[in-house]
Amino acid sequence: MNWTLALPEIALACAGLVILLVGVIPGRNTFFGCTMAVIGALLLAAVLVLGQPEGTALGGLYVADAFSGFMKILALLGAALGLVLALDFNRRESLDRFEFPVLALFATTGMMVMVSANDLMAVYMGLELLSLPLYVIAAFDRDNGRSAEAGLKYFVLGALASGLLLYGVSLVYGFAGTTNFDRLADVFSGNGGVPAGVVVGLVFVVAGLIFKVSAVPFHMWTPDVYEGAPTPVTAFFAAAPKVAAVALLARVLLGPFGDLAAQWQQVIILASLGSMLLGAFAAVGQRNIKRLMAYSSIGHVGYALMGLAVVSDEGLRGLAIYMLIYMLMNIGTFAILVGMRRRGRAVERIEDLAGLGGTDLGRALWMTVFMFSMAGIPPLAGFFGKLYVFLAAVQGGFWTLAVVGVLTSVVSAYYYLRIVKVMFFDEAPAEGGLDATTPGLAAVTATTGIFNLVFCLYPAPLLLAAGLAAAALLG
Amino acid sequence: MYVGAIFFPLLGATISGFLGRWIGDRAAQWSTVVCMALAAACGILAFIETVMGNGATTVRIATWMNVGGLEVAWALRYDTIAAVMVMMVTFVSTLIHLYSVGYMSHDATIPRFFAYLSLFTFMMLMLVTADNLAQLFFGWEGVGLASYLLIGYWYEKESANAAAMKAFIVNRVGDLFFMLGIALTFHVFGSIEFDVIFAAVPQHLDTAFLGVPALELVAVLLFLGACGKSAQIGLHTWLPDAMEGPTPVSALIHAATMVTAGVFLVCRMSPIFEYAPTALAIVTFVGATTAFFAATIGCVQNDIKRVIAYSTCSQLGYMFFAAGVGAYQVAMFHLFTHAFFKALLFLGAGSVIHAMSDEQDIRRMGGIWRKIPVTYGVMWVGSLALAGIPFFAGYYSKDAILEAAFAAHSAVGMYAFVCGMAAAVLTAFYSWRLLILTFHGAPRADHHTMEHVHESPAVMLLPLLVLAAGAIGAGWLFYPSFIGAGEHAFWAGSIHNAEHNHVLHDMHEVPAWVPIAPAVAGAVGILTAYVMYMFAPAVPAMLATRLRGLYLFLLNKWYFDELYDRILVRPTLATARVFWKTGDARIIDGMPNGAAALVAEASRGAVRLQTGRVANYAFTMIIGLVIFVSLFLTGLAR
Amino acid sequence: MITAAAFYIFAFVLIAAATMVVTSRNPVHSVLFLILAFFNAAALMLIAGAEFLAMILVIVYVGAVAVLFLFVVMMLDIDFARLREGFQRYLPIGGVVGLILLLELALVIGTWTTATEASDLRLAPNPGGGVSNTKALGQILYTDYVYLFQIAGLVLLVAMIGAIVLTHRRRPGTKRQDVAAQIARSGSVNLEQVPTGVGIGELGIRRPTLPEAPKPKQVEHADHHGGHH
Repeated sequence: MNWTLALPEIALACAGLVILLVGVIPGRNTFFGCTMAVIGALLLAAVLVLGQPEGTALGGLYVADAFSGFMKILALLGAALGLVLALDFNRRESLDRFEFPVLALFATTGMMVMVSANDLMAVYMGLELLSLPLYVIAAFDRDNGRSAEAGLKYFVLGALASGLLLYGVSLVYGFAGTTNFDRLADVFSGNGGVPAGVVVGLVFVVAGLIFKVSAVPFHMWTPDVYEGAPTPVTAFFAAAPKVAAVALLARVLLGPFGDLAAQWQQVIILASLGSMLLGAFAAVGQRNIKRLMAYSSIGHVGYALMGLAVVSDEGLRGLAIYMLIYMLMNIGTFAILVGMRRRGRAVERIEDLAGLGGTDLGRALWMTVFMFSMAGIPPLAGFFGKLYVFLAAVQGGFWTLAVVGVLTSVVSAYYYLRIVKVMFFDEAPAEGGLDATTPGLAAVTATTGIFNLVFCLYPAPLLLAAGLAAAALLG
Repeated sequence: MYVGAIFFPLLGATISGFLGRWIGDRAAQWSTVVCMALAAACGILAFIETVMGNGATTVRIATWMNVGGLEVAWALRYDTIAAVMVMMVTFVSTLIHLYSVGYMSHDATIPRFFAYLSLFTFMMLMLVTADNLAQLFFGWEGVGLASYLLIGYWYEKESANAAAMKAFIVNRVGDLFFMLGIALTFHVFGSIEFDVIFAAVPQHLDTAFLGVPALELVAVLLFLGACGKSAQIGLHTWLPDAMEGPTPVSALIHAATMVTAGVFLVCRMSPIFEYAPTALAIVTFVGATTAFFAATIGCVQNDIKRVIAYSTCSQLGYMFFAAGVGAYQVAMFHLFTHAFFKALLFLGAGSVIHAMSDEQDIRRMGGIWRKIPVTYGVMWVGSLALAGIPFFAGYYSKDAILEAAFAAHSAVGMYAFVCGMAAAVLTAFYSWRLLILTFHGAPRADHHTMEHVHESPAVMLLPLLVLAAGAIGAGWLFYPSFIGAGEHAFWAGSIHNAEHNHVLHDMHEVPAWVPIAPAVAGAVGILTAYVMYMFAPAVPAMLATRLRGLYLFLLNKWYFDELYDRILVRPTLATARVFWKTGDARIIDGMPNGAAALVAEASRGAVRLQTGRVANYAFTMIIGLVIFVSLFLTGLAR
Repeated sequence: MITAAAFYIFAFVLIAAATMVVTSRNPVHSVLFLILAFFNAAALMLIAGAEFLAMILVIVYVGAVAVLFLFVVMMLDIDFARLREGFQRYLPIGGVVGLILLLELALVIGTWTTATEASDLRLAPNPGGGVSNTKALGQILYTDYVYLFQIAGLVLLVAMIGAIVLTHRRRPGTKRQDVAAQIARSGSVNLEQVPTGVGIGELGIRRPTLPEAPKPKQVEHADHHGGHH
């Protein structure tokens, strides 16, 4: 049985139950305490992940290797930082109910299950455990029509995607006779032809997963949900779940279906191209900064998928490092967006940033760092993320991908730089600058900002870890 | 120890730069001084260890980047050439830090100054201990940045800002060639690690790039990069302007260390230069021309620091043509001795400026030698060393350079020898012109200033005396090991001399008059200066009016700045204006259907898909799914 | 023979009922047809020898889920005419897309091959060795797939938390019984002589004066305690 291998997940889930119990009993508001406890539990889980041995467990449903370790650490870190962002925002918007961190914790458990899945059933269960809390926290601001709408839309479309995934899983099971990754890989590595049913089932599975990473053409929910959900929730969405979903996609495609690469490659290339193009072009006309970030994240997923599409060690390493950098850029940016308030009210238009360079130079400079990093301007971290996937694409001979990637990053640089321009060259509105930020947000901003700045100086250990993760998956 | 020599300055810079506000000025400045002293101790120990102990080592710190076949590491390469530089840089920098404690005592932002100074030292050390071209370039840009910050240190001064910008931009021109050189190196050798490159040089002797021998091209590009940093003719214009920075900065950056980075680069890359005869000829020619050209300008300048700046320029020319004729060891030797006496001269000049209440024009000095005897003494020592008077440091190295040029037995070698001899006379001449005008004669400053003339405090004099000792003894002490009998064992292969290169041997067998000639030239220059400025003060004025054209030509620095203004700056501005007027205003703004509008159009189209209706979204998903399934099935059919 | 006949009868009724669930206009009828479909499915399971599953299906789905559906359907006022509006509009293109998907799936199903041991497996639902149906199911659920079972538990827990978070409200006006407060209340009930024959219009409604001022607040506080879930 060897259940101790899954200790991080078990510990996290148990911690969730305890926190739920403890949070519900006292009469007063336990939001702060619960959030802190959840962050502590997430970090504890991260430590456990670090000390996790490799192997499969729980009847072959669970696998732990360097790849799962890397991605889990990312997801846990992203979730913890995302909760820090929520601390102050939720209190001010009176969303400070202790269920919020608990739901985030269960979502994170779902992510870990996904990343460690070694069976299509585990994939599905992990995905559901991730999705359900996300639906709820998207609608967390239930008295706000937009938030409720975001939750409902996400739920309906997510259910559709889950249905597609489940249908695909059953097709694969029907034609291949198993759902276990190792045995699936054995089935496909035989030199007999692959049944058409498996291939079509795989498409459905891929469709269900691509929905979660919000790549074209399953991206439609993203802008609406990002805009409608409360800002810290959007930050949470954009970071940890995306990492987990990309990791899961990579594991499913390269693990059991690795020998079918010739078939699914086309689809991933198409999704990557579409995402890069849509992410670049649709964001140009946006006025709401959260919506803009939604399109930006679609674009970034396109770049990350490029690393998957080339099916090589370098590509996968590029993907891992890209997700790391993407997550930290995004958390940093959202740390600033969450703190966007004017006279106590949250604002979220791009024009609201006008004149920030004059009123709060520090914040404007950090935002500039993040925007430059997102645009991929050297020597910031975002440049290296793009560099590694582009290099992998060029080495693999995927010139179209690389060229489109470069062109779209030029286009996307336009709207990132527009934000910088608005901050520094536009007049601050008459009602005054933005309110001062809070220490928690400032700390997150500074931490992620410094990471973006100094990544270029000493990327070696992270590259090494990403390389190990890639090697673990490609064997 | 090896690591300490490099990273103590960084520690000092960090303490002073980030904590300076809390720990106060005094603590900040002394922490950098202590860190530098520790670094110097480490540097000297490392030098002894490298030269006399277990030879060259490489300290690997970490892998920096690993991008598609290009693997670059942070590593400290300690061979003799690096150890010499580390020792020299840390030692001189320590003295200059100490000196700055006195010189900058009235400044408002002392921690900032010391942080910059230590940061510069760190970057310079990074440069000289680099194990590969990328790290060298990191240090190269780093010293450029620190130099920019220090030149513009008094940023409220318009001229300081302009000078800083100029230094930065002119250096960028050089850096462009340097980067091209690195890229070409990577293209040719497939690596930018020194070990790999040097080992692979023999295989690439016949490799051609665009029809030109690749090694030649690499060497020329790297040399052009070096020209920018080392202020060789053409790219020298920033150096005199850089004197806007505080004087210790001029001493450290624009005399002893940074400007010699170009010479260091050529010597470091000697395995490549050795097999690029054309490039070496270019190096020799440019170096010799600069030596002469800068010396001529030095003769008519009136700003005490500018005179020394042109002198630096000229001495760098000497180093380059020494390297150009294949005598890299001699170039390094001159670099080493020059660091001592030029830092001494600058710091002495700083002491004079300090005494004269920030007056820099030598026409308004004079008659102060009794009031500041120690400064006067060390200036003499520095000038004697600079002029190459026997048994001072400069004598050994300059003599060796001219012998090497003579012994090269080539046309450019001879040209270099002639230029060098002429420059030697001029050097001695302007040095004594400076000495006499500054210290002798009737006081030309107003009496208010004269009353305040005072000797500098001990914290400034101590470095001066140490450097003076160096200017006297460094040549004699190190001559045998640098270029004498022990040269081969000393350098231990860190400088490569090809088999056809016998210049180090030949230079000891030149005709008897050659070794004496530089000293004679120096004496002639000194005598001329005495005649013209001490005994017959009317002569210079008469010459200036008689030879008005020549005088103006020299005074205006051969019209280099005007030339650049005419052929580069103005056309660039004009073109920019044209582009702005027609390009930007008419084409970009005037064509709303341009690329920007296209993007906007595409954006609107993409946004229109986003209707907000869940049914549409679900429908899009299903269509996408159908497309994917069809794609798969057709892929399967293939 | 009889087994086969029973199978076909139940299977036919099941499919017919399922079709009616989707097509019937009255939602209540739909749910009733659903219950019929459940019953038939249970019967099919009985034929296959999975008696435990059959019973569970009847108890859980018919007894709980379907009845809940019935409640919900009756409580909600669903306007089917409006729901069909969009259906009409998207019919042409939707039909084309659906058709393509259907064809592709038909193509896929066409390649179906049955494993040789399939028929044996189908007729032997139990692992053998005297292991009962229930035990075999338990073996799978609680031993082989305990990991997934636990995750499913978490999913359900999350669903519950979500439902509470999104719908539970503490309305300010609601009054609850607070036994402790009632018992603690003393001396507030007293007899009072009211003049007879006087109308309420003159006297007004007489209320007992509250003994302590913070009383309402205390009630609310107590409410906080009890009413979290």
